[in-house]
Amino acid sequence: MNTNDIVIGMVGSGGDGVVAVGDILATVAASEGLNCLQLKSFGPQIRGGESSCIIRVSGQQVNSQGSVLNVLVAFNWNDFTKFPGELNVADGVMVICDENNFPEKLPFPEGVKTGEIFKIPFDKLVRESQNPKAKNIIALGLITEIFNLPAGGLKKSIERKFGRKKPEILESNIRAIDIGINYAKDNKLKSGLQFQYNKGPAKLVATGNDALAYGALTAGCRFFASYPITPASEIMEWMGKELPKFGGTMVQAEDEISAVCMVTGASFGGVKAMTATSGPGVSLKIEAIGLGTIAELPYVVVNVQRGGPATGIPTKAEQADLMQAVYGMHGDAPHAVLAATDVEDCFDVAIQAFNTAEAYQMPVIILSDQFIGHRKETVDKFDTKKFKIIDRDTPKKPTKESYKRFVDTDTGVSPMSYPGIKGGEYICSGIEHNEDGHPVSNHIIHEQMSAKRARKLDHLAKNYPFIRIYGSSNPDVGIITWGSTKGVVKEAVMLAEKEGLKVGACIPQLIYPLQADKINDFITSCKKIMVVEMSHSGQFAKYLSSYSKMPEKFIHFKTSGAMFFAPDDVLKELKRGL
Amino acid sequence: MTEARDPATFKKYISSLKPIWCPGCGDYAVLTSLAKAFAELELATENTAVITGIGCSSRLPGYLNTYGFNSIHGRAIPIASGLKISRPELNVAVAGGDGDMFAIGGGHMAHVVRRNIDMTLIVMDNNIYGLTKGQASPTTPLGTKTATTAYGSISAPINTLKVMLGYNCSFMAQTSSVDPAHLTNTIVSAMKHKGFSCVNVLSPCVTYRGNEQYQLIKSNTVYLDEKHNPADDVEAWRLISGATGKYLMGLIYKNDRPTYQDKLAELRTSAVAGKAEFKIEDEAQMFRA
Repeated sequence: MNTNDIVIGMVGSGGDGVVAVGDILATVAASEGLNCLQLKSFGPQIRGGESSCIIRVSGQQVNSQGSVLNVLVAFNWNDFTKFPGELNVADGVMVICDENNFPEKLPFPEGVKTGEIFKIPFDKLVRESQNPKAKNIIALGLITEIFNLPAGGLKKSIERKFGRKKPEILESNIRAIDIGINYAKDNKLKSGLQFQYNKGPAKLVATGNDALAYGALTAGCRFFASYPITPASEIMEWMGKELPKFGGTMVQAEDEISAVCMVTGASFGGVKAMTATSGPGVSLKIEAIGLGTIAELPYVVVNVQRGGPATGIPTKAEQADLMQAVYGMHGDAPHAVLAATDVEDCFDVAIQAFNTAEAYQMPVIILSDQFIGHRKETVDKFDTKKFKIIDRDTPKKPTKESYKRFVDTDTGVSPMSYPGIKGGEYICSGIEHNEDGHPVSNHIIHEQMSAKRARKLDHLAKNYPFIRIYGSSNPDVGIITWGSTKGVVKEAVMLAEKEGLKVGACIPQLIYPLQADKINDFITSCKKIMVVEMSHSGQFAKYLSSYSKMPEKFIHFKTSGAMFFAPDDVLKELKRGL
Repeated sequence: MTEARDPATFKKYISSLKPIWCPGCGDYAVLTSLAKAFAELELATENTAVITGIGCSSRLPGYLNTYGFNSIHGRAIPIASGLKISRPELNVAVAGGDGDMFAIGGGHMAHVVRRNIDMTLIVMDNNIYGLTKGQASPTTPLGTKTATTAYGSISAPINTLKVMLGYNCSFMAQTSSVDPAHLTNTIVSAMKHKGFSCVNVLSPCVTYRGNEQYQLIKSNTVYLDEKHNPADDVEAWRLISGATGKYLMGLIYKNDRPTYQDKLAELRTSAVAGKAEFKIEDEAQMFRA
């Protein structure tokens, strides 16, 4: 059978190089104009722990990692058991593994009937390659031949991966790829599934974290301060390399609080600024973010969410920092929260976040997560001209006598001066202040200024241009989700429609304030509502219930993080609730 | 110099807001001296920013006509750092009390010193939390009874000068509110210094530390003269370890070294690597397969 959509899972110990195979395959797919999505998942060890990788290569649009693996390459069966719910094997799965240490019974769920099992003499083949670390590349050669995957760009991608190392390493890896291909040919290893595709224009390959950093640069970010934290550090590393080329600065701060405060200072100075962290970092930054709301300072805070609370599961995703992002601050603290849904969207959302921050002069939190932050996807292009770049409104020729930094307006937004502007000198403060910026502690001014700041959110919710709606109109089931579960939900909607079900989905990008009008329109158009989220307590459903016409009864597919939702799981739950 | 200290000149830096400080508070002298220093250095109000955190002394920016930021407790240093790094042409001063700078915000001190960001820190040290009405601070002497130390403080006070010298602060001076001329001169030299400068101001709290503290600061001082070599860190350590038994006044230690901005310029040169221009849209090339 021919296919243009294949899902490969690999698992091994650190050093087996399963992620390197994913990287090479992603590059090959991109150069052939195919779509690719590559997930990486690790144990907590710095080196030598278990690692797994899922690579989906497709001629179609790729929304998710798919529901089941077509092939599992298992270098180590012990490691396989450490990824329950991530490496999903089903009937027909092909298995490629070492001829040594083959278990009496495969550690698969009860009742799974495997397809072909190819036991490979890796020790012998590795000796032939003269590179003790080439097992992964030999396996890459095997699957390329077995499934007829694109071999064209393969050697070039290997050169790219190993080209900077010693020449003998590159040579032995090139040898290894041929050893794998030839072994499969000689032993007539073939899958019933043969990959067929049409070559297209080459694509880009990026991770969500890199795409987000690039989006911020495009939006005009020229100051970035952060503290290293998994799974967000790559944003800081990218900024450290690229910002200086554009006259900008990345500072590795001494702690999370310092990072957001440096960003606060840069924003006060008129410079677009961002900090990136994960949930624990946001907990530390939250007092300063509150300051940003009352001092009306535009800047962006990125939370690449991980499993929580406390240390939780740093290497895996969860969507349980929603309440923190919306309600984390003390006091009435108007700010905005945006959510990114995939790699390309990380780029877009970074720009939208800066535009929102600048337009409304308030901190904006971007919620991403490890699932999209660390995964690689092919992207057609990053369109740096897609959005108009918005800059904060500044006073025109202010005078000391007439300029009021916090003048009350219809939108709640007041022209913002910054050091260097003569006549615009003002005191920025976290103390409640009047329109002049002078400290006050009376109820009347506090009420007036609270209303002024809150007004920005009314305006934003009414005017935010974008919300994702997929699938049938007036559906029998309307799914509402947010963030990285978009891809899986979108694919589930497509699967449902193929089965003749009327299913739709609504996925807001602006999480706070909620676009209640648009969401209510969606809710009222659906017979039944389903909420999908990676949060054990179901934070999103509770949140929706407080701001929209959510029905009392709805299908709730929720689970804690560290597990990849599959489109089939969503569909199964949906049918169960029908 | 005399012209700068003429009220007609320096008053333009002082705003019309009435300070919340108690009568007799040492911070009044710091406000006036800061304005006089700005006048002497002929700073433009629009190019000058004073950043503070929380505390009596942190109300300072409100009483000045420059840009100011009265932020949150303990965070004046990173906020000022972000401002100065991203807007190096500005004159940036940071001010705060002993609690703001050496308790809640103490973690930032080592790092601003290590970065050697070209700005001036003015610590108004009164050995007490005044704004919250009289609790013990990190510099409250042992045995002192305060609102939170009913039986006398049992935690040894921090010698903040030793802390700053240990971090290798590139300019470190001490002065007091009781000697306004010395205070002004010290702020002027600190602001002229290229690099991070720290001025520790003994600034009495007449409300919670009483007249006794004021008299102690007034009478128990020794002024460093030209015989003191501020480049000598060993001698500086000896002096601040209590060799004289008195409060030292003057420039204690100075160590000229490249500022953060100097190092940043070198970093940018490496990053640019001779290329004339970078375009945002070209950055997409790095994602090419």
